[in-house]
Amino acid sequence: MATTARPLVSVKALDGDMATDAAGVPMPHVMKAPIRPDVITFVHRLVSCNSRQPYAVSRKAGHQTSAESWGTGRAVSRIPRVGGGGTHRAGQGAFGNMCRGGRMFAPTRIWRKWHRRVNVRLRRVAVASALAATAVPAIVTARGHRIESVPEFPLVVSDSAEGIEKTAQAIKVLKQLGAYADAEKAKQSVGIRPGKGKMRNRRYINRKGPLIVYGTEGSKIVKAFRNLPGVDVANVERLNLLDLAPGGHLGRFVIWTESAFKKLDEVYGSFEASSSKKKGFVLPRPKMTNADLGRLINSDEVQSVVKPINKEVKRREARKNPLKNAAAVLKLNPYFGTARRMAVLAEAARVKARKEKINSKRTKLSEEASKIKAAGKAWYQTMISDSDYTEFDVFSKWLGVSQ
Amino acid sequence: MSSEAAKVVVPESVLLKRKREELWAAEKKTKAVEEKKKSSENIKVIYARAKQYAEEYDAQDKELVQLKREARMKGGFYVSPEAKLLFVVRIRGINAMHPKTKKILQLLRLRQIFNGVFLKVNKATINMLRRVEPYVAYGYPNLKSVRELIYKRGYGKLNKQRIPLTNNKVIEEGLGKHNIICIEDLVHEILTVGPHFKEANNFLWPFKLKAPLGGLKKKRNHYVEGGDAGNRENYINQLVRRMN
Repeated sequence: MATTARPLVSVKALDGDMATDAAGVPMPHVMKAPIRPDVITFVHRLVSCNSRQPYAVSRKAGHQTSAESWGTGRAVSRIPRVGGGGTHRAGQGAFGNMCRGGRMFAPTRIWRKWHRRVNVRLRRVAVASALAATAVPAIVTARGHRIESVPEFPLVVSDSAEGIEKTAQAIKVLKQLGAYADAEKAKQSVGIRPGKGKMRNRRYINRKGPLIVYGTEGSKIVKAFRNLPGVDVANVERLNLLDLAPGGHLGRFVIWTESAFKKLDEVYGSFEASSSKKKGFVLPRPKMTNADLGRLINSDEVQSVVKPINKEVKRREARKNPLKNAAAVLKLNPYFGTARRMAVLAEAARVKARKEKINSKRTKLSEEASKIKAAGKAWYQTMISDSDYTEFDVFSKWLGVSQ
Repeated sequence: MSSEAAKVVVPESVLLKRKREELWAAEKKTKAVEEKKKSSENIKVIYARAKQYAEEYDAQDKELVQLKREARMKGGFYVSPEAKLLFVVRIRGINAMHPKTKKILQLLRLRQIFNGVFLKVNKATINMLRRVEPYVAYGYPNLKSVRELIYKRGYGKLNKQRIPLTNNKVIEEGLGKHNIICIEDLVHEILTVGPHFKEANNFLWPFKLKAPLGGLKKKRNHYVEGGDAGNRENYINQLVRRMN
């Protein structure tokens, strides 16, 4: 992961800052760490368990009776029943989870495992990943922060912000930075929690606004920003996954002070050098150094060994019956055409020859005789047409005349 | 469009790709030309062979007639040589069969009712047929039967798939190495039981015939008893006409 060409992040000056010609702060290596939503959901889920308070039912609940079963033979079920008399309670069932006033099934115990261990390296990797996500405006917008008017990402502010003492001034600063929209969203989102939580000291909920990260210990900035709803403050050396990825969702809107931003390299190290603050921790390496698929596919190395594109779709040719379809036969047997033609010609020749042979054998009528025959035929036709027989429908059929 | 316009910088990878594509296009073209030439030559060969076979068949017919007339003239009889080729059709279904006869029918590739295959005549096949006699009808097919079966219901076994014989290319792909390149070659090989009959016959998928129009007489009996099973010699041709 060559980060020799690291982009410079410019530092926003606040009103009252002396104008500097500083070029900006180079992007710390953490911001290039691989973004791993799977690691973050895993770690967030486990780490969220760690601030839980135990709950359980009373150890004695349901057993504060001396109930005994009446046994069989009394026409009642065999559940233990409260002894004594003179009160409704006498004879009622006790102890069972099905009984009214009995102990619950599997009473909750305080020795349930409330907290979860997470490997140190995993925790650190998750935080590094979450930090990298805060530098991508697309992810931050997707999380729901209003960052339309923020001039640069990541947003770094000059160190004069660490000297702010009054909340009014804090708000002014946020407005200058274009970050107030997000803080305002959080302020307006205050509402009553649905559900039983509202009667359990968790009455109000609101959205998360920006996270301010400062560098020097004991800055007044904490007090200035802490009363703003939704706005959180954190020291760079103690960044919390639950703040960087609230709800397990990547991309909290973070506002850095200059000293905090500069300290990030120290705290998290780089891909080669281990961090000075976290013993032996080196930033995790991504699975692919070059994740740009388009570039990879179109690179010369890949294209030079690729086969040519085959765009012709080979479809089944429709099966035609060669015994009926002429084109189909000719495709299979090109001689078929000539064979058929020869057969037809031969047949015609044969028919002709036979006819001639028969004709030559038949006795030829003399011219006179053929004339007489023709005359006789003609007379028969006139006989039919002149007769009355044609007027009767019954006869016209066998006469072969239609009149 | 003037030569003074700034030169567009084309990435090297694009230039290389263009060169490669030109090469491919050129190759494709030469290949297409070659294919065309080969196929046109092929057609000539196929035509010549088909003609030769047609003359051969005619000659055979005439010879048979001539021999018969000769024998009759001399007062004797002409006995045609025993048939070399059989066409076997499975007459009965698949239920309630003895496992040994079932196996023999499988070996003959008759797994379904009204499936048909060609078969060479030798001691082995005759004995096999004797064992499955109640399940099959067989006889000696003539040229018309062989040709019509292969033309209408011929499918080849290519790559274990049942490919219709729509094109001589299919046959060439399957049997080219035995010098059988067209459908007439195949018909000739089967009819005359040539040297590569086994390969040619195996290339042909078993014929799936339709149930005979006009029906069978009585499946359960042998042909000589008035039924349909067993050897019916030349009358198989009539059955094939009704089943094709």
